[in-house]
Amino acid sequence: MLSSLQNPRQAAAQLLNFALILSTAFMVRVVALPTINASTSVHNMPFSVCSADSWRNPQMWKGLSIAADSPSPIVVVLSGSMEPAFQRGDLLFLWNRNLLADTDVGEVVVYNVKGKDIPIVHRIVRKFGIGEHAQLLTKGDNNAADDTELYARGQDYLERKDIIGSVVGYVPFVGYVTIMLSEHPWLKTVMLGIMGLCLNLNLNLSPSPNFNFNLYLYGHKTP
Amino acid sequence: MYNSLTRIQNVFGFFTTIAFVVAAIIAASDFTAPRTPSASIKPTNVQVVKGRPHYYSSKKEEYAIIKFSLDADLSSLFTWNTKQLFVYVTAEWPSTSSSSSNQTNKAVIWDAIITSPSSDHLANIGPATLKKLRKSAGGKSIDPSRGKLSLKNQRPKYQITHPSGKVANTDDVTLHVHYNVQPWVGMLTWNQDVDMALWKRMAAGISKAFELPAVKKKDEPKAKSKY
Repeated sequence: MLSSLQNPRQAAAQLLNFALILSTAFMVRVVALPTINASTSVHNMPFSVCSADSWRNPQMWKGLSIAADSPSPIVVVLSGSMEPAFQRGDLLFLWNRNLLADTDVGEVVVYNVKGKDIPIVHRIVRKFGIGEHAQLLTKGDNNAADDTELYARGQDYLERKDIIGSVVGYVPFVGYVTIMLSEHPWLKTVMLGIMGLCLNLNLNLSPSPNFNFNLYLYGHKTP
Repeated sequence: MYNSLTRIQNVFGFFTTIAFVVAAIIAASDFTAPRTPSASIKPTNVQVVKGRPHYYSSKKEEYAIIKFSLDADLSSLFTWNTKQLFVYVTAEWPSTSSSSSNQTNKAVIWDAIITSPSSDHLANIGPATLKKLRKSAGGKSIDPSRGKLSLKNQRPKYQITHPSGKVANTDDVTLHVHYNVQPWVGMLTWNQDVDMALWKRMAAGISKAFELPAVKKKDEPKAKSKY
């Protein structure tokens, strides 16, 4: 403790770190499972694993968000309408820019339906027209019917603006922790306790220059 | 100074680092496997019917049923990192309205999920079919026969419609074969228009342009999709 006091910069950084973790841990949104089983909805909360310098992560997240031009560049899959491609707990990386080509048929996209706050990841199967106002229809690979039923009343097609990103990268299973945390809220308390404990220990450990949080969660709400 | 908690922390940190490095290497290994897909497709029977394309359709509209024959060899897309291959056939046609000349329409008429032997257990099929599928791989983890398709006069899974409700007498319709490789970890990839290093573009895969005929009088009961 004393040694870290001798290094006020380090102490301040660790304090800031703890504050960040506290605030973000409480920001993790509890997302209810979708009532429609047919849709693969996703957690719009990121999950990042890092070994050091965890306080940088919110910035990394924002950076990724800006680079991908998506409010939620990493999402976690919640249900099975895209099986076997995507299963529960899989992590998807999204890209929301049309640098070379329009968002096209065959791409797997995450979209928001007007008035519903559950992002859904499905594949585009029809596209009429080009550009911003092309009419897009989506369907889950594992579903028999297309998504017309899932859309808002009177909405037959999606437009580009409803889409928050196309899936470009995939990591299996890693996102399961966020699902666990949102379905069993007490785990959050446990984790927070462990984190606090680690912090305490770390404060006492003078020779450790880098703060070592392996699991770090940061909640994010799509607008 | 080092207690067990810090050690657990360090071990877990090391584990996650190693796991991510290994995952990155596996994902990068995709680029070392050559891809030489080829496909040929042709429409065999095209008809346009006026009716309700789905049971939940609120209005009657014209829809086209395009039967096709497809021969494809996509076996080179199966590697140790392939989880599934999503093959889909689209019908594409330019817009009929003269005002917007460059508008195109695209609709998937048929698709198939081809699982890799490593993900057979995830497929949405019954136990008997699963057993058959497992047997077809013959215990191999990479089964080159998986990517070979030969369909004769295949009925489409999805009928084509258009928001305007009109599809009859459309000119210049082409069928295209596409694929999407879903990896176990890494980047999702689609068929490409140009060669990129070891990944070649799909040979053929586009049908000759054809025409959707005029609306057919309904003398037979409504064509029901098998799926």
